[in-house]
Amino acid sequence: MTRARRSLMIGGAVAIIGAVLAVTGLRAADIKVADPTTVVMIVNRDSNEIAFMDIKTKKIVGKTFLGNNVNPHMVMMSPDGRYVVTGGTRANKAYIIDARTLELVKVINVDIAPEHLAFSPDSRWYYQGNPDGDSISVIDMVSLTKVKTIPGLVEPLNVTFTPDGSKAYVGNYGAHWVGVIDVRRHELLKKIQIAEVPGMAKLDPEKYLSEIKGINIAAPSIDGRFLYAADGDLGVVGVIDTREDKVIKVIRVGKDPWRIYMNHDGHYAITPNNGDETISIIDLKTNKVAATLEAGPNMTGVNYAAGKAFVISSTSGFVYVYDMNTLKPAGRIKLGTNIQLETATTDVAEQKLYLAVSTTNSIAIIDAKTNAVEMVSNVGLFPWGTHIMDSKDNYCH
Amino acid sequence: MDMPKCRLGFATVIIALVSTVASAQNATVNGRVTNAEGGAMANADVTLRPMPGPGAPPAMPNMPGMNERTTKAGPDGSFAFDKVAPGQYVLQADLPGFGRSSQAITVPGPNLTFPMTLEALDLPGAVPPTAVPGGTETTQALLDRIKTLEQRLSDLEAGTVLSEPETRVRRIEVYVDANGNQTDQPVPGARTEVTYQRERVYRRQTISEKISEALSDAEQHHVQVGVSAAIAPQFARQTKGTKTDADGHAYQLASADVFFTAGIAQHTLFYADVVGLSGTPPDLEISGLTLLNGYSARLVRQNEIGLREAWLRTELFSQKLALTAGRLDLTNYFDRNAAANDETTQFISDALVNNPVLGLATNGSGFAAIFDPKIGLNFKAGFQQSNPDATNLNDSIYSLAEVGYLMRPPGLGEGNYRLWVRATNAAGRTSKAWGVSLDQKIAPPVTLFARYGDGKVPSGVEGETAFSAGQHFWSGGVTFRQGLILNPSDSWGVGYSQTRLAVGDKEHLVEGYYAFQLSEKLRLSLHATHALEVPEGAERTGFLVPGVRLQASF
Repeated sequence: MTRARRSLMIGGAVAIIGAVLAVTGLRAADIKVADPTTVVMIVNRDSNEIAFMDIKTKKIVGKTFLGNNVNPHMVMMSPDGRYVVTGGTRANKAYIIDARTLELVKVINVDIAPEHLAFSPDSRWYYQGNPDGDSISVIDMVSLTKVKTIPGLVEPLNVTFTPDGSKAYVGNYGAHWVGVIDVRRHELLKKIQIAEVPGMAKLDPEKYLSEIKGINIAAPSIDGRFLYAADGDLGVVGVIDTREDKVIKVIRVGKDPWRIYMNHDGHYAITPNNGDETISIIDLKTNKVAATLEAGPNMTGVNYAAGKAFVISSTSGFVYVYDMNTLKPAGRIKLGTNIQLETATTDVAEQKLYLAVSTTNSIAIIDAKTNAVEMVSNVGLFPWGTHIMDSKDNYCH
Repeated sequence: MDMPKCRLGFATVIIALVSTVASAQNATVNGRVTNAEGGAMANADVTLRPMPGPGAPPAMPNMPGMNERTTKAGPDGSFAFDKVAPGQYVLQADLPGFGRSSQAITVPGPNLTFPMTLEALDLPGAVPPTAVPGGTETTQALLDRIKTLEQRLSDLEAGTVLSEPETRVRRIEVYVDANGNQTDQPVPGARTEVTYQRERVYRRQTISEKISEALSDAEQHHVQVGVSAAIAPQFARQTKGTKTDADGHAYQLASADVFFTAGIAQHTLFYADVVGLSGTPPDLEISGLTLLNGYSARLVRQNEIGLREAWLRTELFSQKLALTAGRLDLTNYFDRNAAANDETTQFISDALVNNPVLGLATNGSGFAAIFDPKIGLNFKAGFQQSNPDATNLNDSIYSLAEVGYLMRPPGLGEGNYRLWVRATNAAGRTSKAWGVSLDQKIAPPVTLFARYGDGKVPSGVEGETAFSAGQHFWSGGVTFRQGLILNPSDSWGVGYSQTRLAVGDKEHLVEGYYAFQLSEKLRLSLHATHALEVPEGAERTGFLVPGVRLQASF
């Protein structure tokens, strides 16, 4: 469904909401969010809650408490706008929230340290990655039950579904391969190696035998035909053809790429390379690096809006800006001193970014055209990430 | 066939079908909502919503045509939906304090009565749900039990290592009135003050996370120590001119830098580099216009440890302006060519590391200011004393200014272009020079580089020298970081330089190198340099200087 069509439908839905409420019998007082596209979801790690901020008024319209020491990690709304879900990393549970009433409606035991998650396009399956359990928990969003645990993964960080929902691809941060899952059977079908570990690796046990920095995510091209997977240790991006599930190109980027972020128009993708504090801009037509530009330390995310890329440098307090037409630096936005930036989401109009500033318990709203910043304080303790339904920049770290 | 009988049978079938359809359209879905113990859950919200067919796009809530229906369970927990059309539905029940019960159902079906069981939500720290009006005693008992269990769990967590409440100190704004009363919200007559306060959060950390954070914190507060060491054996074979002593000789220079870095204030850094060199570089026997071994430039005294750099740097104006002062090497700030600027990892010949027209011979006291708004344009200015025998700061001052620009010529990758000017008052005379430096990617793995410089270097106290009369320098080459390499992190390059003095002396130098990245900390490079010296009115001499460089940094 195109976004325009969906927006039209949502608009229609909002317009006749009164009539619908009468039909459904839900009391208006029960409904805190009538239109799921009108809120920014904020995952507050240390106050153990999901906060909902109205995009227009910038007010918190509701919070859903999950329980002490849950420490939620990533929040996401189901594509049908019915549920909001999060994984409680230190509770080993998945939390399902009714998107309209903001009530916690289900808590489901999953595997160890659930973090990142994804929905199948039809909203039926919620795949919860459990990095410390090396598994994915499959939750049926109709029965609201865990139907399966898919084992055999290695620190699964992110899941990507194909547009038809038949397959899902899992980035394994503890390995150098992408897992292919048959969604009909919820089984690991195949492992796709992104690139060979260089022969010199045996001379460098300190690097290759200590902590591993493998694949964070296999991110889809705009048509879903190809997947791009950056590997941290190997410093490459592997291009996977989803028809044949094989690597068709390996692109060398900078040192220690954190992951890849796809531009909304399908022309470019960016890897923030934390090893050398650069970004690599990849031309998706030629599958070559179009530019390598200076950036900042500890980069945690990239957002696109108003023809620019906004690269979040977590510990420096800066967001680095790049012009995606000229592929040149376009300044940087200072958000504060001695603060820690986390991740951001972009609104569907691609005009504003909502960036979690964890150490100040606030959300920075960045106007993409002017680079002006507005801070919304007291959203909860240690906001770790944000999410807007249908945003093209919904991610976590 | 008997037509009347046939018609009768056909009519019977039609009537039966119509009857079935009518019955299906009027199906009633009913059931009862209970808790885990079977107690009735009065007032539970029960919802029936159509489920999109396979392959259908997700249907938003509140969407027109969704026909989502909700009813309340009666005192005995029972509910019913009548006139339910055939199809697939999701049937769900909700009650505050309990998890949602949800299931897929098909209408018509053999049995349209569905039991719904609600299980209590276990949320440590949550405010207990209030008793539901009309709820049963069993519900209240369950809620009380949840509260008790929750308290026990909270006590348990508080006593375990992993659940120890985390604290952190935050910088906060408060409001203080004339009496010193502090409030969190503005009050009339109160002034805004910034203070620091500890806050407690419920964050559960693993032991490994705590250890990792502690180590990281300690590391940030300590002085960081780094080491860069290199051994560079080289060999000389004379290729042109009357044989000299250097022909057939071997040389080796060993270098070790120990550097210290410490953050001493906000955006302020201290750095010191202590270097020791020992050995015999080829430049002691081969006299050229430039050094064959770039490390030789650091060699002030054999086998002695010297302070190479020691400076403070602070960043101002949203860190757009960086000011550095102390004992400096200004070549670290000016003419920083990305492909040919570092004798430890790239070319080893000094002519392919620096621009000799800059004229800086040794490090000294100085100052550098860099304005970089991160838009691809930057400005630099600085001065540095480059005379170890100077008796005051007015002597041998080199002043430099540079503008740098990041460009993307059509069809090419990014390129860095720099223009610099230099002036010095060494030996009481002002001499000036200017130069350009560029590195341009022509493909992701291929970078072209070039330098040009023209000007005079200072005269010595004895008067004009061949160098001080003026010199003209240019260099260029190409480096590769991917393709045609043996290992992913290897690199190689070839470069050429020409130095021409005003008096007519010339030098042509060409070098090729291949650098193996053996590990994150260890590199091995193979080099081959050929230098041809063409003195005005004298015999030409040429030397081929192959070498190896083993370089470690950590």
